[in-house]
Amino acid sequence: MRRPLMTVAALGAAALVLASCGGGDGGGEKTASGDDKLTVGVIPIVDTAPIWLGKEKGFFKDEGIDLELTKTTGGAAAVPGVVNGEFDFAFGNVMSVMVAQDQGLPLSFVTNGTTTSGEEGKDFSGVVAPKGSDIKSPKDLEGKNVGVNNLKNIGDTTVRYAVEADGGDPSKIKFSEVAFPDAPAALSKGNVDAAWVLEPFLSKAIAEGGTVISWNYVEMSPKLDIAGYFTQDKKIASDADLVKRFQSAMNKSLEYSQEHPDEVRDIVGTYTEMDAKTRADMVLPKFTPEFDRPAAEQLGEAAVKYGTLKKAPDLDKLLP
Amino acid sequence: MTSTSSRPLRSRILAGPQAGALGIIGFLATWEIACRSGLVDDRYVPPASRVLVATVQYLGEGEFWRAVGRTMSGWAIGLAIAAAAAIVLGIVIGSSDVLRRGTHSTIEFLRPIPSVALIPLAVLVFGTSLRSTLLLVVYAAFWQVLIQVLYGVGDVDPVASDTAKSYRLGRVARVRYLVWPTALPYVMTGLRLGAAVALILAVTAELVIGGGGLGELIALAQSGDAIDKLYALIFVAGMLGVAINVGMRAIERRTLAWHTSVRGEVAL
Repeated sequence: MRRPLMTVAALGAAALVLASCGGGDGGGEKTASGDDKLTVGVIPIVDTAPIWLGKEKGFFKDEGIDLELTKTTGGAAAVPGVVNGEFDFAFGNVMSVMVAQDQGLPLSFVTNGTTTSGEEGKDFSGVVAPKGSDIKSPKDLEGKNVGVNNLKNIGDTTVRYAVEADGGDPSKIKFSEVAFPDAPAALSKGNVDAAWVLEPFLSKAIAEGGTVISWNYVEMSPKLDIAGYFTQDKKIASDADLVKRFQSAMNKSLEYSQEHPDEVRDIVGTYTEMDAKTRADMVLPKFTPEFDRPAAEQLGEAAVKYGTLKKAPDLDKLLP
Repeated sequence: MTSTSSRPLRSRILAGPQAGALGIIGFLATWEIACRSGLVDDRYVPPASRVLVATVQYLGEGEFWRAVGRTMSGWAIGLAIAAAAAIVLGIVIGSSDVLRRGTHSTIEFLRPIPSVALIPLAVLVFGTSLRSTLLLVVYAAFWQVLIQVLYGVGDVDPVASDTAKSYRLGRVARVRYLVWPTALPYVMTGLRLGAAVALILAVTAELVIGGGGLGELIALAQSGDAIDKLYALIFVAGMLGVAINVGMRAIERRTLAWHTSVRGEVAL
């Protein structure tokens, strides 16, 4: 069996070449001024505005942290990035980290990231039915095709919850994957009967005649936390002081962002391609340091009920 | 066809670059008309004129050029690694009947695995760094070149091969004077195919994984609802593909100037 081994060996050699042509980053490094270098993986969307704003305001520098933000285009790189040590922390939604924990990955949140505004009619997440649709309330989604950005995550779980709360049968909804940017077009073309959409595409879908038939985050709980910054459990144990300083800078950033929505809209322009009008029109999430435990419990229960999770999440471990 | 002067006038005017340019103008005009006439919704597909404006705006931005630089370095390094590995392995495997038969099924099994299926692996091992992109680019381009090299090596004239042996040419000399010149046209074809595939994978990797480059800019434009910029970037990616193809053809003509496939166009 020498022959097949040759190709494998060659691929292995190629992988070694690849592995050697770049330095490994990760925690533990210090800058010349003695600050700790931290790399955080973030998705370039409005939800991560506080960390960008906090960096600009020097909140991290004040805590002796030299913060480097790496954009990850989808959520695809966030969990693997933290697991392989490329990121010290990463931004991820609550359900994704619950799923990771459910599958045995030792990951936990260190700070909150975004929270629903808690107001129906003024949140950054909703389920939209196109112009002229006969879907008027969540229970009408029964038997319909609903677009969500990915399956078995926070979108379908909260939509199922909203449908059941409205008296519908959540098992009769068909979900298909539609990315948020594609949702307005998918709705107006009739590819889906309704779609779960986040800002800035929610405003766009409404402007094109769509109607929000469910404010799915608010309906789950008006205090539902959507996403936060997570890391490996072993880092929380071994780098307790650094984690604490990151938490303190991050909490300050969240509070500052909540008080200065105009600065949030401005900073979003520096790391996304959203134009000024889109930024001015969009509804912002709420930024608050504290996780709401009852809301997370409720989300966890719903996730178990609808099969997103195998067992209830261990919130003592998951939340800071 | 004995000389160019006997070709009809029309085909001479529409030769090479002019025909290409006309094709592009026609394409842009069709695009513009399709959008302006409402055939396609300009909220989702902006007309060519708006995309060209966005493209020109990009040309003045440093960030854009850094992104192009990153994409092209992923492409170039990846293609170089893939080509070097594939040429060496191809000649080694192709020169031995035993090796060739022994590796055949393995190659046919590994070759059709889509490079993008390796994205989760790449992210897990290399994160968002350039190495992730390289893994995908090298994997995709490697097979394109390898298969061509194998065909090329297999194409060596048995009589020439026997002659070389009876003149007691050593292994190295045979590769240098017999195998390499025979395989070279195939190698160039493999490189040209590999170069195109490498660009596709470089952009795909950045689009899905992030970490910089044109692909990441495309993802940013998409998630920021900047439709004009989105299409401008796609247009730029297309132009890079054209530039790469033109460049590879030029290299091919130069390296194969002695070969009948290239000489033939002029002399026959």
